[in-house]
Amino acid sequence: MSVLEVDNVSIHFGGVKALQHIDLKVGEWEIVGIIGPNGAGKTTLFNCITGFYSPTSGSVRYRGMDITGKPVHERTKLGIGRTFQNVGLVKNTTVLENLVTAQHLETDYDAFAGILGGPATFAEERRLADRAHQILELMNLDGVAQARVADLPYGMLKKVEIAAVLATDPDLLLLDEPGSGMGPEEAHQLGDTLLELRKQFGVTIVMIDHHVPLVTRVSDYVYCLNFGEVLTEGKPDEVRRHPEVVRAYLGEDPEEPEASTVAAADAPATEQAREEYV
Amino acid sequence: MSAVQASPGKEASAESTLVLPSVVGKPKSRFRPTTAGWFARGLAWAALAWFVFAVPGNFLSPFDLHGEDIGHLITAAVFVIIGLSLNILIGYTGTISLGHQAFVGIGAFMAAYMEVDLGIDFWFAVPIAAIVGGVQAAVLGAISLRLTGLYFALVTFAYGVFTEESIFGIIGFTGGDAGKAVTRPMGFQSPTAYYYLCLGFVVVVLWLDWRLTRTKGGRALQALRENPRVASSYGINVKAYTLLAFVTSGVFAAVAGALFAHGKDLIVPQNFGFELALSFILMTVVGGLRNRAGVVIGSVFFALMEGGWLFKTWLFDTVGVDWLLEDGIGLPLSFVPLVLGPILLILTLTTHPGGIGQQIAPIKEWMLGRKFDIHTGKVRDVEVTDVRA
Repeated sequence: MSVLEVDNVSIHFGGVKALQHIDLKVGEWEIVGIIGPNGAGKTTLFNCITGFYSPTSGSVRYRGMDITGKPVHERTKLGIGRTFQNVGLVKNTTVLENLVTAQHLETDYDAFAGILGGPATFAEERRLADRAHQILELMNLDGVAQARVADLPYGMLKKVEIAAVLATDPDLLLLDEPGSGMGPEEAHQLGDTLLELRKQFGVTIVMIDHHVPLVTRVSDYVYCLNFGEVLTEGKPDEVRRHPEVVRAYLGEDPEEPEASTVAAADAPATEQAREEYV
Repeated sequence: MSAVQASPGKEASAESTLVLPSVVGKPKSRFRPTTAGWFARGLAWAALAWFVFAVPGNFLSPFDLHGEDIGHLITAAVFVIIGLSLNILIGYTGTISLGHQAFVGIGAFMAAYMEVDLGIDFWFAVPIAAIVGGVQAAVLGAISLRLTGLYFALVTFAYGVFTEESIFGIIGFTGGDAGKAVTRPMGFQSPTAYYYLCLGFVVVVLWLDWRLTRTKGGRALQALRENPRVASSYGINVKAYTLLAFVTSGVFAAVAGALFAHGKDLIVPQNFGFELALSFILMTVVGGLRNRAGVVIGSVFFALMEGGWLFKTWLFDTVGVDWLLEDGIGLPLSFVPLVLGPILLILTLTTHPGGIGQQIAPIKEWMLGRKFDIHTGKVRDVEVTDVRA
């Protein structure tokens, strides 16, 4: 049984068809990459999967269960964890505090017991902090545990974000541009980390990234979106050499001026992609 | 997740070195105060304890406080609870309530009604009033929390006015304009003894508030205030937790109301006008959102300013200008908090968004045994955009 099944999902915002008839399947322990130029609908797809948007039509199934209408926090409870394109962390606290907050569902007392301050809550708080430290250690982030999130550089926040999602104890990890703000070398390390995470936690990963070499290296299967539709899908190498993909990414088709302007807006990622292709 | 416990740090690879920014990694050497330092801190604590415990009892005190003065101190203790209650809404949750006087009034009249009309004992009346306060907050919250920002504030404002005009007008419940006179509980009949009882309640509320911020509920509120999307992706039920904050705030406010009712000789519906809600918001924001010590000080200050009392007693009497305003041209001093409050609010929001709490942060840290550093409290500033409707 596949972990995640997106079945014929479409979403329209007024006249804008952000996603049209998207089908996507993610199997157990797979790493699936989603690529595509900016504005292709990748993040919108994530928002449909995690429940921030409800699709106009179609359904989302998680381990065979239809979750299309479920609110976000219930999907988290089922084991869907996600990161955000523009760093989803509570900025005014420390990294450690964020990881403890992320263990909301793991916390073994209810909120009222916490307010009353029963002795068991103190012990549980220590356990949560310990577990947060272990996850930070695992992600090589133990040095920044006490740092305020707002003071850290972007590239590191992307890693902290992954650590925070891991703290929610997910089965399915949706990563929205985990490699943005990282240089080629850091992105390579990120790839190692992702493969290691799958091995250690047994998580299934879906990732959006512009970093084509990273995606093709770690993914088992790749979807390429463009203008809200699946342009092509397949093994990483096939997708990467697919002429449509090359055209969508590099925007060389004179018939599609919009594509090239969209791609130009994302200059660093596109440039990197261009270098890799040449 | 067992993998984490089993093999932490397994993933660490040789080449993955982190470049830490300058704010991180400086191991703080533990600061230990000298003996003289400890002594000075002890003196500061003793002075604080003297002010809170000894002065109201006219014990080792140059001031001679009487019934009315103690009444103001009781109001101060009640306002502290109200300030902490409102801090949960404005500070932790980021929703503003313009109808908090109704929360307090419902607690006050509920306790008064139960004791005077039903003959229920104080120690049962207060918890029941607290539960009723929580329930009414839950109902209001469940209906109005669909809105946010200014429109939510408007609904709470309407609720406050509605309560004052209609619920508090029910003669069978509140006694109408004649009001209700409640006697203080056994053993706490003198104002001074009752003041100490109120202090006991303040301590309990401080404990609950401290535990709230240190546990699941408080963290959930912080996350949903800063970023509701991230909060829900952490599995936090944003609506339920906002409602939890509302209920907790309502319970605290109702307890404060019940204590308020016993502090006064007589409570009338006019005690709970909108102007009171204004004072509540001013004292919480000026005190410093999310800063317990700041909120406490701000609340005490505004309570003592009620009716211009602080100025009348301590300032005008001493300087000898009381003939000028109240006795001279007949200007009542009750305008003082309503003029001074907004001025302080403007100063707070433009120069020190963290309020009194931010200003006293160096002293607080010093008293807690850390090194005196005048810049403490700058990092965790409340941002001005935080204080939004």
